[in-house]
Amino acid sequence: MLDRTRREFLRDLGISAAALPFVLNLPSLARAGEQPAKKRLVVMFSPNGIVPKTFWPDEEGAEFTLKESLQPLAPLKDKTLILHGVCDRIRGDGDAHMRGIGCLLTGTELFPGNVQGGSDTPAGWASGLSIDQEIKNFLQASSETRTRFGSLEFGVLVPDRADTWTRMVYAGPNKPVAPIDDPYQMFTKLYGRQKDQASLKSILDDLQEDLQKVKSVVSAADRRLLDEHTTLVRELEQELKADRASVGHAVPEIEPGVKEDNDNIPKITKLQIELLVNSFQADFARLATLQFTNSVGGARMRWLGVEKGHHELSHEPDSNEEVQAQLTKINRWYCEQMAYLAQRLAAIPEPGGSGSLLDNTTIMWTNELGKGNSHTLDNIPFVLVGGGLGFQMGRSRKFRRQPHNRLLLALAHGFGHHLEKFGNPNYCESGPLNLS
Amino acid sequence: MTFHYSSIRRLAPWLLSLGMAALLAAPVAAAEETGEQIFKTLCAKCHGDKGQGVEEHHPDPLVGERPLDELAALIDKTMPEGEPEKVSPEQAQKVATYIYDAFYSPLAQARNQPARIELSRLTVRQYQNTVADLIGSFRSPGKWDLERGLEAEYSDRVGRRGRRGGGGSPALKRVDPQVKFDFGEESPVEGKLEAHRFAIKWQGSVLAPDTGEYEFIVRTEHATRLFVNDTEQPLIDRLVKSGSDTEFRASIYLIGGRAYPLVLEFSKGKTGVDDSAKQKAPPPKVKASIALLWKQPGRAEEVIPQRNLSPHTNPEQFVLTTKFPPDDRSLGYERGSAISKEWDSAATDAAIETAAYVATNLRELAGVSADDDSAAQQLKDFGVRFVERAFRRPLTGEQKAFFVERQFEDAPDPAGAIKRVVLLALKSPRFLFREPGAGGDGYDAAARLSFSLWDSLPDEPLLKAAAQNELRTREEVAAQAERMIADLRTRGKVREFLIQWLKVDRVLDLSKDKELYAEFSPQVISDLRTSLDLLLDDVVWSAASDFRQLLLTDGIFLNGELAKVYRAELPDGAPFEKVRLDPEHRAGILTHPYLLAGFAYTSASSPIHRGVFVSRSLLGRSLRPPPEAFTPLAPELHPDLTTRERVALQTNSKNCQSCHAMINPLGFTLENFDAIGRFRTEEKGKPIDAKGGYLTRTGERVKFSGVRDLAEFLAASDETHSAFAGQLFHYLVKQPVRAYGPTKHAELKQSFAQNEFSVRKLIAEIAVTAALAQPEKIAHTSP
Repeated sequence: MLDRTRREFLRDLGISAAALPFVLNLPSLARAGEQPAKKRLVVMFSPNGIVPKTFWPDEEGAEFTLKESLQPLAPLKDKTLILHGVCDRIRGDGDAHMRGIGCLLTGTELFPGNVQGGSDTPAGWASGLSIDQEIKNFLQASSETRTRFGSLEFGVLVPDRADTWTRMVYAGPNKPVAPIDDPYQMFTKLYGRQKDQASLKSILDDLQEDLQKVKSVVSAADRRLLDEHTTLVRELEQELKADRASVGHAVPEIEPGVKEDNDNIPKITKLQIELLVNSFQADFARLATLQFTNSVGGARMRWLGVEKGHHELSHEPDSNEEVQAQLTKINRWYCEQMAYLAQRLAAIPEPGGSGSLLDNTTIMWTNELGKGNSHTLDNIPFVLVGGGLGFQMGRSRKFRRQPHNRLLLALAHGFGHHLEKFGNPNYCESGPLNLS
Repeated sequence: MTFHYSSIRRLAPWLLSLGMAALLAAPVAAAEETGEQIFKTLCAKCHGDKGQGVEEHHPDPLVGERPLDELAALIDKTMPEGEPEKVSPEQAQKVATYIYDAFYSPLAQARNQPARIELSRLTVRQYQNTVADLIGSFRSPGKWDLERGLEAEYSDRVGRRGRRGGGGSPALKRVDPQVKFDFGEESPVEGKLEAHRFAIKWQGSVLAPDTGEYEFIVRTEHATRLFVNDTEQPLIDRLVKSGSDTEFRASIYLIGGRAYPLVLEFSKGKTGVDDSAKQKAPPPKVKASIALLWKQPGRAEEVIPQRNLSPHTNPEQFVLTTKFPPDDRSLGYERGSAISKEWDSAATDAAIETAAYVATNLRELAGVSADDDSAAQQLKDFGVRFVERAFRRPLTGEQKAFFVERQFEDAPDPAGAIKRVVLLALKSPRFLFREPGAGGDGYDAAARLSFSLWDSLPDEPLLKAAAQNELRTREEVAAQAERMIADLRTRGKVREFLIQWLKVDRVLDLSKDKELYAEFSPQVISDLRTSLDLLLDDVVWSAASDFRQLLLTDGIFLNGELAKVYRAELPDGAPFEKVRLDPEHRAGILTHPYLLAGFAYTSASSPIHRGVFVSRSLLGRSLRPPPEAFTPLAPELHPDLTTRERVALQTNSKNCQSCHAMINPLGFTLENFDAIGRFRTEEKGKPIDAKGGYLTRTGERVKFSGVRDLAEFLAASDETHSAFAGQLFHYLVKQPVRAYGPTKHAELKQSFAQNEFSVRKLIAEIAVTAALAQPEKIAHTSP
């Protein structure tokens, strides 16, 4: 207990010193009373690559056509940024799926280890932290941007095993962070305290009644102690009342009893998105990840009429038109989820600021592979929707084999975190991708 | 090296025990006026003869919290009112001393209060244990018999991708005493398992002796997972081997005196996709080793010893993590005599934590899940059982309606209802306070018995005995006590008592001058603590359980490391065994190096600390803290003086001698032992003088030559027996022994003697006494 307090204290000290120059440099601080706009990032992950011909716009620039996989973004087109030509250049141990997810946000190699993939050498965990955690640490270090959780890791049907294929977020080298794929567990994490307080409040009248009964059977000398106890319970009641008045944000109602299985993926996704949106509204966190299944994930999207598992299908050659059409359907469904999330955020005004939540939130949808049947890590899909990071949206951009480390750097810079290198420094030359 | 008297105070808090009845009085020359006489003559007229106050003069009682010297100065300056010149500074000092000890000081006030069994809340330790057992009562009982070690299964692989238990039938099953193996490049089961790929799973339970943070350490080059207490969530998860780390650590808070389930998995070879068919070359030869270590609170790292392991897998324990403010220990033992805002909010947090645990584990505990529509009645039944166990007695129909039915009616759903039931029960005074408004029935006797012995609630057999009205007679209660003493929880509680009694919990840093005592490493200190534990266990839990052996035995537990430091004949790396050390000179705990080093400075012994320990803990004498802080004379300033001579020089004033006349001659008898408790015959070229003595409460002057004399005296002395019985009573029962009758303390001492000083029997006697006590009768029906 003592230890933690001391650590917190030291941390707080470190922070103010480090954050001061940054805070003073912010132009918005010159205008009194106005808070700097919040910045948020959601990284959404889906597995097994995409179908390039139904995904990438042919054009470059502001005039472009959304192809079938990205059609759901049509209403959000002016807030959409599509990045083609960004490649995961990290090599080393592990097969493409393992490196695909493990190096995606960390930009660095996997450690050698004992997990054998479908090819290549066995590997372990990533050897560095992921960019979302890097930005989270940056925001949590300043009292201006610190939030209750900093970041929240959502999942949808992530298999119940910890290995290189199931982890995308890393708090540090060898420190994978497990996503929470049970919406009820996430709900407890976010709102458990409020729920407890409500339960507590509901028993206080009964407790007073019980205290009176017990008091009547103890001696006068002993009653003193129970009188004190009665007073303390009354104080607790008053505090709970005061507390309730101060909590502006209501606890969301979520559908109970949704079981964790393949066919419930759409329902679970909606629940998770609802909690994600609510936690941004309540400013519980500024970073979030939403991980659908896992690298090599085998979701069976029966609700789309696709019976076979996603990974199995992704190995089929380009010539198998029927399967390519199914894979397009699958990616289009993921895109719909991104669009739904964006629209939910767009519908909510930014508390204490201007515009909507989406104006200050960038959602980045990505994947561990460029293409499923070739296992390439080139042209990893990066589709961004939203705003707040100073990127020029409403465009289709095409790069020439740029390492994705530069994109990770651009995200950090978007938050005012001016890192020079992130992950493997060899892929950070020329600094952040210029997206403005 | 500053020595403040306040540190002595920390070492030995005042004990309100038998010592109270025999407050140390400074020897007074016969012709002189005593403080009491001065008070009678000059003060009693206005303050009353017992300081109780006199209505027409000074109605308030003469009580307060000023230290003695301040009180003396005040009297000198202001008393008697209007004519302070009537009292000389010396007289003021005397009268202040008298007032202070007779009724003024907080301790004197406590002593003068009529003793009664006070309504008390659960202490922190009792709360933790009670909720652990309350939850545990819905699980199968644990097992801790004489079997030691962990059950081991050697097989070709751990289940698929980390799922445990899938390896088919193991190639080898056995009990391993501890986990410390180096397999080299070989197979652990030649001919049955391949050398490049095998898996081992150890399971059983680990006993945590003390409450605190335990760090578990697994050392291996390969994949591993460790589960402690929670068998679903690994404490250490290294099933994915990644990078070149070979040591993995994680900490967990555990409550002492309990056994926790433990599973350790190890696997050599790759996981993930099986590509063995594709591999043409034979797998490379790789070494494999594994060791399971821990760091107990305040100890050095060690391989978890066999004595702390059992091959039986005990059920998970509910370990409360909410921190409570510490209990009042002003009388020498924790008591639940006061409540505070901090305590109340901790109790609220603890209730919420427990309710959340019940909700999470509802299916296991209640046998039914809250989602189940048809399960409402089963959940209510669970609620009733939960509340009954929490309150340590059955509920009346009306109470069932109030504590359970009503909560189910008012809550939005069954899961919410169960939470409310738990919260209401755990915030109720019936749970938080001990036997409130007790009618003195069998259930109260059961609760008193279990709290005395376990600091926890009654178990099933005890509740059954209460229900069948079989806790009425002494014999019936004694039979239960006898059964309960064998439980780990009794051992845990008695262990904590002994540690407090010996002040071990107060001395946190034993490190010594590195030049003088280079060999006194953290490892040696940690091993000495183990050695002390082994000695205490060996004496107290032997068949005879003879208290006197704690003082008299010349046996001591040493391992190879300690043997080197204390010059005993043991091979290198030898495990602990009982040996005779310095025959004729060692005397049980009195000369145990852990205590001797604790009551010493970094480079010299401290006869004062040692003497205070013997006076207070062993003889039960009460000592006032000295009037001001002193710095001990620096040895460098008196290079020619021995420690004994220096102490004598510093404490030779009359003022000091009022206490040091007792302290020093007791401490001097231990001068044959240096600052790390090694035997010595000379200091600074001069022979050690270990002569000493003691003036008994009955006025007999006893002389000692060395510690054996002291030990023989203490082991045979009424004073020691009485002090031990009193202190043990207070620790176990947490009520003043005087509340159980003016002669109770003397009776306990007597039965202690009649039972050949069996500690075990004394424990039983105390627990039975507390269980059968009839509290104040109150003219009310049951609550």
